[in-house]
Amino acid sequence: MHKKKTSVRRANIAVGVVLFTVVACLSLFERPRVRQPAGYPQLVSVQDFPTSPDWCPPPASAIRADTNLFSAFGNGSVYAGSPQSGETGVITRPPMRTIRDKDPIYSAVAVDTRYDEVILMDNNNWGLRVFNRLDNTPPDAPFTEPKRIIAGPETDIQFNNGVYIDPQNGDIYSVETDTGDKVVVFPRDAKGNIKPARILATPHRGFALAVDEEKQELFVGVQYPPEVAVYRKGASGNEKPLRSLQGESTRLSDVHGIAIDPKNKLLYTTNWGHVSDYRIVGTGRIEDPSISVYPLNAEGDTSPLRTIQGPKTQMDWPAQMTIDPETGDLYVANDIGHSVLVFKGTDQGNVAPRRVIKGNRTGLMNPSGVFVDSKNKELWVSNFGNSSADVFPLNADGNVAPLRTIRSAPSNKVSLKFGKVEALAYDEGRDQVWVPN
Amino acid sequence: MTHPQIAAFAREAKENQPPVRTIEGQKTLLSRTMHGFSYDPIHDEIVVNSPLSQAILTFRGAVNGEEAPLRVIQGPKTRILGMGYAALSTVTADPVHNEIFLPIGSGGYRGEGTGGPQGVLVFDRMGNGDVAPKRMLAGPDTQIRNSTPQVAVDPIHNLLVVKSNGLLIFDRAAEGNTKPLRVIRGPKTGGFGGGQITVYAEKGLILSNSMDGWAVWSINDDGDVAPRWRIPVKQITGGGQNSGIAVIPKHKEIMIASALQNRVLTFYFPELFD
Repeated sequence: MHKKKTSVRRANIAVGVVLFTVVACLSLFERPRVRQPAGYPQLVSVQDFPTSPDWCPPPASAIRADTNLFSAFGNGSVYAGSPQSGETGVITRPPMRTIRDKDPIYSAVAVDTRYDEVILMDNNNWGLRVFNRLDNTPPDAPFTEPKRIIAGPETDIQFNNGVYIDPQNGDIYSVETDTGDKVVVFPRDAKGNIKPARILATPHRGFALAVDEEKQELFVGVQYPPEVAVYRKGASGNEKPLRSLQGESTRLSDVHGIAIDPKNKLLYTTNWGHVSDYRIVGTGRIEDPSISVYPLNAEGDTSPLRTIQGPKTQMDWPAQMTIDPETGDLYVANDIGHSVLVFKGTDQGNVAPRRVIKGNRTGLMNPSGVFVDSKNKELWVSNFGNSSADVFPLNADGNVAPLRTIRSAPSNKVSLKFGKVEALAYDEGRDQVWVPN
Repeated sequence: MTHPQIAAFAREAKENQPPVRTIEGQKTLLSRTMHGFSYDPIHDEIVVNSPLSQAILTFRGAVNGEEAPLRVIQGPKTRILGMGYAALSTVTADPVHNEIFLPIGSGGYRGEGTGGPQGVLVFDRMGNGDVAPKRMLAGPDTQIRNSTPQVAVDPIHNLLVVKSNGLLIFDRAAEGNTKPLRVIRGPKTGGFGGGQITVYAEKGLILSNSMDGWAVWSINDDGDVAPRWRIPVKQITGGGQNSGIAVIPKHKEIMIASALQNRVLTFYFPELFD
């Protein structure tokens, strides 16, 4: 009985293949006849490229059910155009697979202490997510719903990395690193797909933000060519910076974080060590990552007052940075180290951090943003690697569990850490595709 | 750019499926703006540029995690300059002829370019340290005039394709101020985007980022020629800047990196391979 069914199935398949081939060939023969005189050359046949075989309907062996996906798309082969016809075969079938991260990838964090709200920057979906400061995602919950989301094409948020919350009115400042080249400012209660209240054009690759409230100045750290551009806090449009710190003597390089200490009138930057002058051949070199310290009013090609640099520092892709104005402690999100490094603002040279928050209990995974909540004596850390933010006591040290965690994905989440994927390379031997950010 | 990793995914990976390995961290010397690079299947190596430090990095194919490159081409003898805006954002390898091709553009940061030549530097694949290029293709006759030229090599037909206001097709070994053999340019082409190009040498086809997605020409096309095929990715998926490409003959697929939507799309495209 089984053999009989198999035979019938094989016969049906054979009939199907024959019918397909006949129909396909007939349609090829019919092709010239459907053409109408047009007074210009038309496609009547497709000739082989000099290096390729004839283009013709696929033979039966090429359309096995396990390899032919046309039925899934509901359409068939698209013939190539030719220079003679001026026509082009247009492929409109949808993609069969997509590699992407559906969850937020958090690049930075800030707290509005007046309203007890936390703002997380979603670099993946181009948005800002607002949570209650005391939210704490239960271990078995898939995620915590944000109170508000600011996202959509009207917002102009694009690959956002630096965030600042105005302590007086709650305005939210966001710097758009790559395709945006701007700082956008929203009112505290903004939500949805809304236009920013104000837009300031900034240099390409702006990455980090800080504000000197006393002098009402907005600092924008720029990755490359490395620079700290200082604007009026209320600047908008194409307003020029008040001053700019840049040049070989500054030792700025691929700036990822900036912090200001208004009490001691100091400016700090984290640098990744990629150095070059794009106008001069062969000036590229790679240095250890560093923190450099400048007078708050530094401008031009000013040398740092001091630097923190060397293997003892443990810095490995140091990202955003913040300072506790009361203690002078400098907190650095240390991406590859899965740690937060705490230095004294007065440290210099190849020094070990005073404290290191690191370990399996911390929940830290590729931390990229830090914020000191002086009012509540808490340290906030956003994790690029797992769609979450952790809160620690301000004096945390070692392998300590966070006080609270806000997750936007399940607790076992491993982020794809995508950030503007622009190129691909395929490794056929391993059947893997390489994707750079 | 927050985290300039290079991540390897299983070809059939889907949404939320993490990479099988990544290259990341200080020791890798990677920097942002990796807009075109190569996997070399003959020597099992990855060749990528580190634009912010004017370097070309070569990693072993099985690289995983924070691993130093096998070789680094960097220094004054290399003649590498950039990257003002993005003059130095791509690199490609020709494993058959043991060469690395590095296009250099004008940049154009804030309207100010590098002031240097616009062309292609060719290095020995095994070059390491401060080494001079084997040859340089540049000059007015080359027609390479672009802030970010892109290159692809066809080792079978011995051709070098440069995307610079069109597709310029040279002899692979061209050097100096050499005219292209053929130029694909004009309104019928539909225009070119800023992303990668690649050559599917077995079929003699050029795949180029276009204004609305991807387009395919023959290496023998010349002049104002419409593409053989076009994939209007933006129209299909809604996502812009679909700038990266990988050709996968074994599975009759192409993969496209959609930069503005942080995703990699796989299209079934048997017509390209049959």
